[in-house]
Amino acid sequence: MTKLTEHPFFKKVIKDAWSYWTGAMLLAVLNVSLLVVSGKPWGITGAFANWGSWIYRLLGGHPENWTYYAPGSSNAKDLLEQSFLTNNLSVQDIGIIFGALLAVLLASQFKIKKIKSWKQVVAAILGGLLMGYGARLAFGCNIGALFSGIASMSLHGWVFAVFIFLGAIAGSKLLVKYFMT
Amino acid sequence: MAEYRLDCLGEACPVPLLKTQKKIEGLKVGDVLIVEIDHSCAMKNVPEWARKVGYNVDIEEVEEGQWDVYIEKTK
Repeated sequence: MTKLTEHPFFKKVIKDAWSYWTGAMLLAVLNVSLLVVSGKPWGITGAFANWGSWIYRLLGGHPENWTYYAPGSSNAKDLLEQSFLTNNLSVQDIGIIFGALLAVLLASQFKIKKIKSWKQVVAAILGGLLMGYGARLAFGCNIGALFSGIASMSLHGWVFAVFIFLGAIAGSKLLVKYFMT
Repeated sequence: MAEYRLDCLGEACPVPLLKTQKKIEGLKVGDVLIVEIDHSCAMKNVPEWARKVGYNVDIEEVEEGQWDVYIEKTK
């Protein structure tokens, strides 16, 4: 009898990476389901803005006066009436983290990676800040603005696509310059 | 028929692929390059690229979440 971990089905589904086609189909079906159930397409980074603003409010700040949280907008509702565990986007983000952990544990591929150089730390912090700032200006990240935007037949998703491509070219050049030496 | 190792542990995409491409350029036909990887998306694109170029590729999982990718420069 073959061991479970050597079974071809286990190897194909749990161990090996799925094909891009499988991933694309699943993302499409799941995004449609999410839209039907929650009334909004998939997004990720919108929740980060709320996390930061909730913390800022706890510390005595007033993010509700910011234009981003204009009175009556859905952003303002999320900020004032919801919390970490009742905000759809926040719960989805927690789901992504636990889902990814579950997948990597099932495949026995969990590993804590060492930080190789200070350059990685600087690049990660700078990159994270720039992407977060850009995502708020663009009303979404590559999921909320690009993926869900295009799926909703919105022009802004296509504009995002053109510029993320240009950004990726610039990013690759920087990467080769600073990380290939 | 020399054997070389390339340490790509802790490197994220696309750095392992770029380093592999650069390193293999300087190798002679028949040499083997062993790329050490612990980034699962590099596990997809490094072997994919090497096979597309026509090199022989073999993958060994050395521990949880870490692989040695053997690439033989065949031409």
